[in-house]
Amino acid sequence: MKVQIHTFANLRDYAPTGRGNFELSLAARATVAHVFAALRIPATVEAVILVNGRRADQTTPLAAGDEVTLFPPMEGG
Amino acid sequence: MHGWCGKILRVNLSRGKISNEALDPQVARDYIGARGFGIYYLRREVDPACDPLGPENKIVMAAGPLTGTAAPTGARYVVTTKSPLTGAITCSNSGGNFPAALKKSGHDAIIIEGRSAEPVYLWIDGDRAELRPAGHLWGKTTHETDDALRGETHAKAKTAVIGPAGEKLVLFAAIMNDRDRAAGRAGVGAVMGSKNLKAIVVRGESEVCLADPAAFKAANTKYREAFKAKTRDNPPPLRVHGTAITVVGTQSHGVFPTRNFQQGTFEGWESIYGETLTRKYLVRAKPCFSCPIACGRVTRIPDGPYQGEGEGPEYETVYALGSDCGVDDLAALTKANYECNELGLDTISMGSAIACAMELYEKGELKESEIGMPLPWGDGAALVKLTRMTAQREAFGNILAEGSRRLAARYGRPELAMVAKGLDFAGYDPRGEQGMGLAYATSPIGGSHMRGDPAYFELLGVPVPADPHTWEDKPPLVAKWQDLFSVIDAAGLCVFFSVRYLVEQNLMVKPVGITELLNGATGAGYSPEEVERAGERIFNAERLFLLAAGFTRQDDSLPPRITREPMPAGPAKGRVCRLEEMLVPYYKLRGWTSEGVPSQAKLKELGLLKEAQG
Repeated sequence: MKVQIHTFANLRDYAPTGRGNFELSLAARATVAHVFAALRIPATVEAVILVNGRRADQTTPLAAGDEVTLFPPMEGG
Repeated sequence: MHGWCGKILRVNLSRGKISNEALDPQVARDYIGARGFGIYYLRREVDPACDPLGPENKIVMAAGPLTGTAAPTGARYVVTTKSPLTGAITCSNSGGNFPAALKKSGHDAIIIEGRSAEPVYLWIDGDRAELRPAGHLWGKTTHETDDALRGETHAKAKTAVIGPAGEKLVLFAAIMNDRDRAAGRAGVGAVMGSKNLKAIVVRGESEVCLADPAAFKAANTKYREAFKAKTRDNPPPLRVHGTAITVVGTQSHGVFPTRNFQQGTFEGWESIYGETLTRKYLVRAKPCFSCPIACGRVTRIPDGPYQGEGEGPEYETVYALGSDCGVDDLAALTKANYECNELGLDTISMGSAIACAMELYEKGELKESEIGMPLPWGDGAALVKLTRMTAQREAFGNILAEGSRRLAARYGRPELAMVAKGLDFAGYDPRGEQGMGLAYATSPIGGSHMRGDPAYFELLGVPVPADPHTWEDKPPLVAKWQDLFSVIDAAGLCVFFSVRYLVEQNLMVKPVGITELLNGATGAGYSPEEVERAGERIFNAERLFLLAAGFTRQDDSLPPRITREPMPAGPAKGRVCRLEEMLVPYYKLRGWTSEGVPSQAKLKELGLLKEAQG
């Protein structure tokens, strides 16, 4: 299945082409953890995870067409 | 004393008299400093019913015990006064280098009272202070004033000044220090202008005396090392891209206020957010005193109609002058930011007033002939023009200068002012972020995010994430964070570092690191619980001032757009802010009555009972 990935700030460094928004192919019944594995994001790199605009975590299951947003925790605005 | 200087400078402008007073050690311990000292002196000395722009109002400018020390982000001071914009207390906070210089001059606070017959400035050179004529500076911008004052005092002096907006009593005029840092909110600059005080200039070069230098150094090293360790694999987003990177957090949650909070997502967000700012206009990152983060932005627009150089924009400015006005032209909003800095205006209330005017124009309540120009959403050129007109109170700018609440009321649509207690909201729509709604409604200064910012845990993942859409769990969290922010402000620290490194990394944010630093500096032997209690004391004392100024439970409210109009689209679609459901348990756990009044038992517990009666 295919999902849309949106990465920001240092999380963009793990985007395959360097572009923040891209499509990723995953096996059926994949979770957010599979996205992290596919992008080779180290365990020491922190990320806020949203799936379709809702708070998610590594265990959140994904469906085809989902939008996954990854950005670093921020110290405020 | 250690950490504290033990000295308050009192400046009576009516009589031209300057005196020194000792700081009461018990007051220092109970109120910590800065924001705590502000409310302590304001409650003792200012009638809450006074005219904010009259000589009876006072300004307390206070540093904290960690201001001017090597503590990470020990750079802050707080300006406390009665606000002309809201009629409530305001305690506006700023960093840069001026606050550290104030502390290093040997003063914990300056209390400014009365009104000078002629424009003056206050020159503090170490332990000497004098008032000097400032007629030659009246009308000058903040940058011109800074240049002139450092020229006629000392090249190393630091300044806090007002621009034309403060002189003309624009109700949301700021006090600008170090040229581009702002104690911005709720019109502190207008109060300074009403007193004919153009500037405060300080040279301070004494080291802050520490009670236990070894313990202080150990704590300082520990938390700076923790910062270094974390940032090895996680470059600080605020250093790399500035606070405007926060657009990612608000837009992706659908709470990025757009077109006067009519929407929560902005189609032009990628044109104005932090990474675009970095790519197009960033010259360098700029830290405040003793700050390892360096979120400040020195920027330059190289060419075009908005060519210029300055600092900013911050996230709040990107929201207020950007998405909230439907403006996706980063150069235009950055130029308007430069104008606000040089004229001495709060960018949040400026943008919010323009956004309100744009909606009034859209709805046909406000005519082109009244504004002097068409005012459609997205008009970047209008931002710059209206900012200049507002600072000078010229034509329609004279109406904008009164702020969005008075503007909306004037045109018969008071519900279109996006304010709490008359203070314009920060850049977070509470419909998709329930805790922020409660924080806006119960903040003692009105719609600020800086009185216990739930965006940290609701949107930004710090210290740990919480669901932004639930409301049942928010009252205790908001109360806890409000008290924490009181502590951070009182200590003289910046929330950006403190929330990430100086508190326990869970939602209850026990201020362990702050306590260690405070104890090293002051020798007070605080426990974290005692520090938390001081934060609660400060917050309740501010509430007492607010109530005495005539505010009631009905003022702990939000506009009907936020509580009744469901968010039209995006991740928060269909949601409203459940404020009323949150307020009842919030009052109860605060120890307040159902009318939002601190109970006698709570006041006694906090040591405020005698003061409340006195």
